Amino acid sequence: MRSRLALLVAVVVAALLVVAGDVRAADPPEVALTIEQHRFVPEEIRVRAGTPFVLVITNKDATVEEFESHELRLERIVPAGKTVRLRVRALRAGRYPFVGEYHEKTATGRIVAE
Amino acid sequence: MGATYVVTLREGFEAALLLGIVYAYLDKIGGRVHYRYVTTGAVLGLLASVAAGVAVSLASGPLLDLGPDLIATAVVFAAVVLLTWHGWWMRRHARELTGDVQARIAQAQATQRLWLVGMIAFTGVFREGAETVLLLWGLLTQAASASGYDGAVGGVLGVATAGALGWAIFRGSRRVSLGRFFTATSLVLMLVAAGLCSTGTGKLQGLGWLPPSEALWDTSGLLSDTSLLGGFVAGLAGYRARPTPLEVAAWLAYLALATPLLFGLRWRARRALPVPPR
Repeated sequence: MRSRLALLVAVVVAALLVVAGDVRAADPPEVALTIEQHRFVPEEIRVRAGTPFVLVITNKDATVEEFESHELRLERIVPAGKTVRLRVRALRAGRYPFVGEYHEKTATGRIVAE
Repeated sequence: MGATYVVTLREGFEAALLLGIVYAYLDKIGGRVHYRYVTTGAVLGLLASVAAGVAVSLASGPLLDLGPDLIATAVVFAAVVLLTWHGWWMRRHARELTGDVQARIAQAQATQRLWLVGMIAFTGVFREGAETVLLLWGLLTQAASASGYDGAVGGVLGVATAGALGWAIFRGSRRVSLGRFFTATSLVLMLVAAGLCSTGTGKLQGLGWLPPSEALWDTSGLLSDTSLLGGFVAGLAGYRARPTPLEVAAWLAYLALATPLLFGLRWRARRALPVPPR
């Protein structure tokens, strides 16, 4: 049973690696977003509707933050002092709010697709 | 303090719920000696959470840009399978509830794949574990300052409250009869699994692997996703204030498939399959 489980885990990991490599092959535009003093800079991100892009989120604070957009069903941990890249699908024109889940009072922003 | 309390309680609630249920389940079938399966699963889940937290903090690179999403999505659907499997097993076992106590306990222990409850504990803890570990770690390192201290206390209290809730579920279930416990547990686990199914579908939409869509309705004014109560209902039944049609469809489809699997034929089966003499 244990070996079967190990095999299952190995297969899943291998599949994830393949998928990860595959998805990264494309090269969408990057949009920078910084977390500073538990706020997002800039608070409004303008992107072209219908084009996927990569949010490059840098956390300059000494505390961990979680970028979260309920609207987009996206969440991503951004450790203190780290930069993460978050792929965002092509959006229809509109406003998509996001928050820093651990500092929801101050860390708010929105993506505006147009 | 309040803010971090709400966050960690919300993150820890689902794990506490699942752990409370599987421990209670083992207690009910007289399988206390098998607690170690659940404990091991939970501890491994915690270790994996710490490892994931460290990996996210230290490493960077292509895999880490997508890895967390992939793992999160895989864990969600793995949990759906495990919970369904467990519920299905409980239903089959419930057919023999008319047998005498010792016999049914012996049979439960003989036929149950106990590593399954360990896996439920693992996925339950691991699902929100890395986030909670990172958040708590960050809070504790900030605890020296006055505002940081408040946040750290809040975060720890949130986790402690989640643990207390799990404990309450475990203790409370002792007073319930075995049959009623199985029925109630099946129902709760089915709702949790339906919620996870919908959550996973939403994640796939967020990742762009399923077509995105507008929200079907908006009840965020009534019950927000981020409120404490909203978090509980989300953990328990997959509540979303602004669900997409696909999420709603996944939720309903799961219930439509799981209800007959976990409940459907029980009374008929009980009648049709008299307990064989032992």
